[in-house]
Amino acid sequence: MVPPQQDHDLVYNLRLSSVGPGCVTGSDVVHDLSGLDLTMKLHYLKAVYYFSSHAMEGLTVKNMKEAMFYLLNDYYITCGRIKRSESSGRPYIKCNDCGIRFVEGVCDETVDEWLETDDDSKRNLLVYHRAIGPELSFSPLVYLQVTQFKCGGISLGLSWAHILGDAFSVSNFINNWGQLMAKVNVNSSPALAPRSLTNTAKPEAPSEPLSAKQVNHVGDLWVLANNCKMETFSFNLTTQHLSNLQAKIGSVSAFDSICALLWRAIAKVREGFEPQIVTVCRKDPCHDDNNVLGNNQIIRSIKASFLVGESDLNKLATLIANDQDQVCDERNKIEAAVEKDNGSTDYIMYGSNLTFVNLENAGLYELELNGEKPKLAYYSIQGVGDEGAVLILPLPHGSAAENEGEPRYLVNLTLPEGQVFKLKAELKRAALL
Amino acid sequence: MPHFSNSVKLKYVKLGYQYLVNHILTLTLIPVMAGVLIEVLRLGPAEIVSLWNSLHFDLVQILCSCFFIIFVATVYFMSKPRSIYLVDYACYKPPVTCRVPFATFMEHSRLNLSNNPKSVEFQMRILERSGLGEETCLPPAIHYIPPTPTMEAARGEAEIVIFSAMDSLFKKTGLKPKDIDILIVNCSLFSPTPSLSAMVINKYKLRSNIKSFNLSGMGCSAGLISIDLARDLLQVHPNSNAVVVSTEIITPNYYQGKERAMLLPNCLFRMGGAAILLSNRRSERWRAKYRLVHVVRTHKGADDKAYRCVFEEEDKEGNVGISLSKDLMAIAGEALKSNITTIGPLVLPASEQLLFLLTLIGRKIFNPKWKPYIPDFKQAFEHFCIHAGGRAVIDELQKNLQLSAEHVEASRMTLHRFGNTSSSSLWYEMSYIEAKGRMKKGDRVWQIAFGSGFKCNSAVWKCNRTIKTPKDGPWADCIQRYPVHIPEVVKL
Repeated sequence: MVPPQQDHDLVYNLRLSSVGPGCVTGSDVVHDLSGLDLTMKLHYLKAVYYFSSHAMEGLTVKNMKEAMFYLLNDYYITCGRIKRSESSGRPYIKCNDCGIRFVEGVCDETVDEWLETDDDSKRNLLVYHRAIGPELSFSPLVYLQVTQFKCGGISLGLSWAHILGDAFSVSNFINNWGQLMAKVNVNSSPALAPRSLTNTAKPEAPSEPLSAKQVNHVGDLWVLANNCKMETFSFNLTTQHLSNLQAKIGSVSAFDSICALLWRAIAKVREGFEPQIVTVCRKDPCHDDNNVLGNNQIIRSIKASFLVGESDLNKLATLIANDQDQVCDERNKIEAAVEKDNGSTDYIMYGSNLTFVNLENAGLYELELNGEKPKLAYYSIQGVGDEGAVLILPLPHGSAAENEGEPRYLVNLTLPEGQVFKLKAELKRAALL
Repeated sequence: MPHFSNSVKLKYVKLGYQYLVNHILTLTLIPVMAGVLIEVLRLGPAEIVSLWNSLHFDLVQILCSCFFIIFVATVYFMSKPRSIYLVDYACYKPPVTCRVPFATFMEHSRLNLSNNPKSVEFQMRILERSGLGEETCLPPAIHYIPPTPTMEAARGEAEIVIFSAMDSLFKKTGLKPKDIDILIVNCSLFSPTPSLSAMVINKYKLRSNIKSFNLSGMGCSAGLISIDLARDLLQVHPNSNAVVVSTEIITPNYYQGKERAMLLPNCLFRMGGAAILLSNRRSERWRAKYRLVHVVRTHKGADDKAYRCVFEEEDKEGNVGISLSKDLMAIAGEALKSNITTIGPLVLPASEQLLFLLTLIGRKIFNPKWKPYIPDFKQAFEHFCIHAGGRAVIDELQKNLQLSAEHVEASRMTLHRFGNTSSSSLWYEMSYIEAKGRMKKGDRVWQIAFGSGFKCNSAVWKCNRTIKTPKDGPWADCIQRYPVHIPEVVKL
């Protein structure tokens, strides 16, 4: 459908302002970045939530901004700016209340119209994203864009620097905001004390991590330079697809079986250059809820000793599922590697190997406006390395008798441009697209 | 004259001298009365009666004398100016959503003036030394990058500030809108049609025969000009209430260019407003907080340099801004001297005035090299409210009037917490003194304001009743944190 000639862009009237904490944080409050945080410095998370007009009844953008001021009283770390230590040049966050950047925009389509033709480039209009740098101390770490649609519905587009925390932290952040807007009494504010690294001992590790690799120095502009152009696309997995998958693969979780399927498909596409090692990220179930902001997700490295492209799906899925967390969890290794030279080398994690991220337990649909859940919650990663990344997101589904065609998962892939076409064909063959 | 002031002996001599001169009437009257009493006792009652009879009073003479006395007394009481009472006042407290931390101000500055790093650098240096804190507030329109100062936004700001202050005043005093006889609104840089006073009348449905005035363009000292106007009106209209609203609307006046002299106000001016209830009704005597004693206005506009030192004009690119000249402090000092010369004789005790007169005569006749005597105003006033125009102004006045740190504490802390709120800053400072529980019955307060023109206006208030620490007001939630130490240069 060719849109009619418009005298302005699809999303227009962008107005920028800053929203900071309502209370003064105080002077000289500093949040140190751990080795794991620094590994993520070239990655950014982008989240988009779509809400219908019904959810926005009685709510204005002004209300949302006001609630954000109160939320940021607790999340003042996100309002800080990066500074480099004078002695070592190691980046840290100065909690100076500078604020997150708040963007207000307008769109002439309705939410439903938009969702029909939604794709990656269109979605980028809903998330105001700027990389950190070249002036580190004047770069916001979080951007929040609220776009108002013709029907009265809105989209929330969040751009979040991964050094602050993982996707689970982002979801917590947004959900807490939702609770403040609903004026639900949050019994305890999230305890978010800034980290101080002065007394922590450097971890020891025998070997280099597999899931993070070094990249060329990026200096003060924190953008990843890929060797090829990356493309993002997504597709839904319905109940039918899942039951078919379940039939082929035995007793493993849905996530493990989807990973196995995609790993094999990508291996087939990259004939000769198969990904033998993949990284799997998921929520740490043991992590206590006391510190909800941070890079706390489990990062596992899984190595296949056989050819993946022709392997049995069952074997692959078992490999992914069975590896014990404790053995493959690479967080300490990554931490140690980064700390060896005090954070002066630049690393990436997503895309250093083919990465799978499980967002099933992220609580993506816990955000409610006026008691209504979002129509869609979409997450993606900006700044993925050449090996690519896959995010598995849950979709809201009715609890009534499950419709065969009902979408249950959204799979979001970021891969080199050249591989996308072939992969789509491969997925069609597997009757997934 | 050698400087002996540090000697303890001289201190006692000084105290003795002050007591003697200030109570000279009492001290001469007592011996005279004692003498008369002794004489009367000596004479005895019979002698007094014969003395009385020898005066040959008759009825007509007695009646005439009585009428004469009554006539003089009536003329005296009728020509005495009515007492003007300040019943209560309310200051506007901006919401936290308008807060401007230093870092945010600097970041926005960099983005708005992206082609002028030198101007940004200048603003940073000003902000570091400004004496402002991290809780001052700007109106919502100015928070956008770039700012969006529409007329609608300006009216919006005026409504929020003025109506909040008025609502608060109504609540504190129990005043009914229909009881307002005189309304004076002063806002220097935003003057729409219909006026802001008309806006207030419309919102609160005030009476149709109200006497309303809107003062614009008169700068930061307009608050005291409004008080002066209210006082004059209350002399003419008996049994009346006057409401004075002092504010400055920031939205339309945020300078968007790059001239350094004009960027200074952006760093200092912040959102604020106050509403004051004045009355000449005798029934208010008991609950009024203050009584207005003097208002002294000094205008140096006849001097060209003074006239041009705070000047609103367009820069080379057509952006309108307020240009502050480099001699601002010198001119302020001159205006203050003028004002002190007038107010001194009205408020200073006789001892200080005598010393000043003697030194003046001495300098003229004997030796011009004598140091001019600076009267000690601390003897005339318990509290000082110096307009929080900027750190330099407060420092200058503290030096000139030889005030201690505690005397200027209200001014400095108001500058830190609220910034320069223009004409309403004096009321935030009064509020600070009350919040600290320092205002006692009989205390005298001196409010000094400077403004474009160049004007220096003073008001003297006398506290009518000891004021309990208020539970509401702009300082209620933060007074326990004050006073804070404000460093010379804040590291941003």
